[in-house]
Amino acid sequence: MVATTALTLTTVMAVSPWLLQAPLLASLAGRVPGIFFGLPLVALASLIFAATHHEDPAQIRLATVHWTVWLGGMLGMVLAVVLLLGWLQ
Amino acid sequence: MGVTTEPQPSRIVAISPDDGSAIDLRNPALAAVLSWAVPGLGQLYQGRTTKGSLFMAAILTTFVLGLWLGGGKVVYASWKPGDTRWAFVCQAGAGLVALPAVVQSAQLLGPARQPLLLNGFMAPPLAPGQYVSRAYADRLARHDSDIEPDDFFDKPPLKQFRRDQLAQWHRQLGKFFEIGTLYTMLAGMLNLLVIYDAWAGPLGPSEDEKKRRAAESAAAALPAPPESAS
Repeated sequence: MVATTALTLTTVMAVSPWLLQAPLLASLAGRVPGIFFGLPLVALASLIFAATHHEDPAQIRLATVHWTVWLGGMLGMVLAVVLLLGWLQ
Repeated sequence: MGVTTEPQPSRIVAISPDDGSAIDLRNPALAAVLSWAVPGLGQLYQGRTTKGSLFMAAILTTFVLGLWLGGGKVVYASWKPGDTRWAFVCQAGAGLVALPAVVQSAQLLGPARQPLLLNGFMAPPLAPGQYVSRAYADRLARHDSDIEPDDFFDKPPLKQFRRDQLAQWHRQLGKFFEIGTLYTMLAGMLNLLVIYDAWAGPLGPSEDEKKRRAAESAAAALPAPPESAS
């Protein structure tokens, strides 16, 4: 447990300054449309929801897919409505 | 002479919603505190290594990614009038990784008038008219491309900032200030679920999932249709 925690924290601390100063990655991120930055958050929320509702890894995987489809579908519908309203104006 | 039995130490367990097995929560309060301090650490303490590692990797990665997208400037604590950083309440849910922001803010507003880490990591932005130490002002003027030495009034023994650093950050980062803030906030808020999981065990399947499972098990219990004779 201690080793895993130490390894993770060390990795985070080692990677953070490098990431903060990586101009290539920053320029790549700058070219990605803002809407796509929501996709990892949908995946993350689905994964955490699934993992906090189940204990078995197989069930966690299934529930992650279920939540991703559900959240993505809901947000996609909201986006479609917003786009439609914008187009009608 | 009667037989005496040793009192068994009580264990706090949760029941797995998947297979009904017992999950030893050990000391749930300690596990919850550990999961706040480092996401997933409480689960690792309880021996739930898969989930602990998963939570740790997912939440810390999201937090660091958000910090990077926001140029390292989106996590800060500020309670000044006009710049109350409510987002930090959510970001603080991610645990000790957000703690430097509290220290930096306290130091910058304290008698020292400079953050503990002079590079300004997780330090709040300077407001117009804010007094800072000469060392911090000089360092900002040297290393921050948006700040010039003329941006400070000389007020010995301090210096007074005369621009709005938060506005500079917004202009410099554009949409990434909001995106980075969102990532770090979500990491902190989702860690609340992780803390609850360490404290009380898994929440169990949702109502929809229960209905789906019941329908599946009912369908599996139905007898197979007889084969038609050709």
